[in-house]
This record gives sequence, C-alpha cells and structure tokens, in this order.
Amino acid sequence: MSDMVAARAAEIHKAQTDIRRAKVDRMFAVLLIVQWIASIIAAIVVSPYAWEGKEHVLHMHVWVAILGGAGITILPVLLAFLRPGTTLTRHVIAASQMLASALLIHLTGGRIETHFHVFGSLAFLAFYLDWQVIITATVVVAADHFLRGIYWPESVYGVSNPEWWRFLEHAGWVAFEDVFLIWSCIFGQREMASAATRQASIEYLSEQEQLKTAALEMALAEMSATA
Amino acid sequence: MRTRSVIVTASIIVAAAIWVGTVGAAARAIRRFEATPGREASAPKSWPAESSLVRNHDAPTLVMLVHPQCSCTRASLLELQAVIEKSPRVMRTYVVVYRPRQMKAGWEKTDIYDAATRLRGTHVVVDEDGREAKRFGTFTSGQTFLYDAGGTLRFEGGITMLRGHAGLNSGRADVIHIANGESGKGTHPVFGCSIVSRGERR
Repeated sequence: MSDMVAARAAEIHKAQTDIRRAKVDRMFAVLLIVQWIASIIAAIVVSPYAWEGKEHVLHMHVWVAILGGAGITILPVLLAFLRPGTTLTRHVIAASQMLASALLIHLTGGRIETHFHVFGSLAFLAFYLDWQVIITATVVVAADHFLRGIYWPESVYGVSNPEWWRFLEHAGWVAFEDVFLIWSCIFGQREMASAATRQASIEYLSEQEQLKTAALEMALAEMSATA
Repeated sequence: MRTRSVIVTASIIVAAAIWVGTVGAAARAIRRFEATPGREASAPKSWPAESSLVRNHDAPTLVMLVHPQCSCTRASLLELQAVIEKSPRVMRTYVVVYRPRQMKAGWEKTDIYDAATRLRGTHVVVDEDGREAKRFGTFTSGQTFLYDAGGTLRFEGGITMLRGHAGLNSGRADVIHIANGESGKGTHPVFGCSIVSRGERR
C-alpha cells in the first residue's frame, strides 16, 4: 500500500511542481519584457541624448537599453514559451534577471536605490521553489562584481582602487538573503510533497472504499439472485 | 512535428548566441563610452582678464562649465556639491551654463541648471554662445578650474571618475585639498558631453 501511495504522491508532486514552474516561467517572461520596456523608458527619461554643442545624437544608454535589453530578454522569453518548466529555462531566466538588474542599475547612473532590484529579483526567483536557481543568480551577481571589480571598479564600487575582497562583501549581503530564500524553497517543496502524500492517501482510501462498495454490491446481488 | 522541433531548437540556439554576445558587446560599448574622457581644456594659467566672472581676491575661485542638456553633468554637479561642502566657505563658485544663440528661450533651464542654483553660495551664469567657455579654453561639460586668491590656476579637469558616475574620485579629492591650501596633482580627466559642436574650430 505505502509503495503505491508513495509512487502516486511523487507523481502528484512532480505534476504540481511542473505546473507551478511553468507558470513562474511565464510570469518572468512578462516581467522581463516589462523590464526591457522600463529600461528603454528610463534611458529616454534620464539620458535621451549625448550633446556636442548645439547638436545632439541618441545617447549610448538608449541604444544599450534597446539592443542590450533585447539581447538579454529574447532567450529567456523564448525558453519560457517553448520549453516551460525545464531546468535550463529557469536557470537562464535567473541569470537574465540578474543581467536585467545590472542594466537597470547602469541606466540609472548606478543609483544605490536601483540595487534593490537585485534583492527583489532573488525573492521572485524563490517562487520556483528551486534553491539551485537562487545559487545561479547569486553566482551571476558575484561574477559581475568580481570581474567589474578587476577591470572596471568605479562602475560597481564607486572607487577606483577597492580591496580585492570587496566583491565578497557585496556577495555576502546577497548570500544573507539567500539563506532564507533557500530555506523557504526547501520548506516549500517539503510542504508540497506533504500535500501530495495527503492527496495520494485520500485517493488510495477512496479507491479502496469504492472497491469494497463494489464487492459488497456484488455480494448482495448474488444473495438476491439465489434467494 | 520533427520540423517544428528543429525550428524550436534552432531558435533557442540563435537566441543563446545573441544572449551571450549581447552581454559582452553591451559591456564593451558602455565601458568605452563612459571611460573615454572629453577633450582637455587649454586654460590660461592666470585668471583670464577678459572674463565677465569676478575673481575672489581673498580666497580661491572655482569655475565649472556645463552643458545644460548633458545628462552626464548631473554627476559633476553632485561632486561639486561635495567639493563645496568640504571647501572653505569663502571660496567663490561659478557654474557657467552654456547656451547657443540660436536655441529658443529657456533651452538652458533644465534640471541641471536648477541643481546648480541650489548649490550653496554658487553663482549660476548663462554663457551666451559659449563665450566664457572660449575664454577658459573649455571643450567638455563638467570642466572645472580652481584659481587661487592670486589668480593662478591650481586645478583643471573633471571631478567625476567616469562619464555620468558620481562617487569618490581623485579629481574631487584633489580640488578639495587645493581649496583647503594643501598640495594636489592639479589635473584629472574630464568626462562629459562636448560644449563645442562638431566641426566648430577654436
């Protein structure tokens, strides 16, 4: 009995997880498109033109928002609709979401307030209830800070000669949030598994009751026929 | 069915190539744009006598020339605010706002102009057709000069670390040191839009 229930519970758990993750994929596809549009608007509002005296040309940031934003968005959106619910899709979405954060931070002139986008994005990624996705996003953020810290420190730390370990400090704050998000992903999966087991048990008991009822009705029918 | 699968896979591979390429290309383009300094000024080593600005004879005089439509200049004004806060109160500060003659009235009244007017004790001067910019040999928005009480040029350059990036940098620190009577390097690259139109010669 327990094997049958466990197998059915695993089946229910997987189906519900797949449905949830496919929904989150589509949610992120919409979010990434909205962020792309928002980044173009931000670029147009904050720095529409680069000037040379009385002449002006479209600012580099507007081009980066249009073309760079499109480049970042196109793959995760495509995967969300063509390969929803797969492991690859959600990891690409996680990396793209972090790149979208980096783009927005840059377009707003490195405003410290825009850095909150990273933390908000990590919380959204936890909707997948897959702790590995949080790790992917964190690695992208840490790698971005590490590499820019070496080659372009002013753009990320605001000083030209930061300590080599400064990226660890930034990544540390992300890890601080990660601890709780990873715990919530694991806890959420356990709750879903528990609910699936309950559903499988109810289904099993209901099935057993139906079999008993059918056997009883058959026995009654035989007794009536012999009487 | 098989054809659809091939099309889907091919689309994903193309999108993946674009995704990877975009990250590198965008980073390179932004880096080149923001880290390329503007043209250096050829400022007179002594206060230009023909300038309509009035030099302070008892304390340093700081002059920053800006293009009012240049979004990168917001960072220069943020840095200027930090300089003013850490410099002697007697320092005289000018923000000279470029205005081409043929532009309609109010063209220069941007958020950059407004930000300049809010700086402590700062005189904001509209520079018709860039006459003052020419007198100070300036080509790039955000160009800053610090003349001492004797009228000798002590600092020329920018006070941001990159184009449009505010934050601690050696240009800002240098101006603060010199304004407070300490020694300094006296130069720093300037990052911003050009005050000179393309093809315009000086």
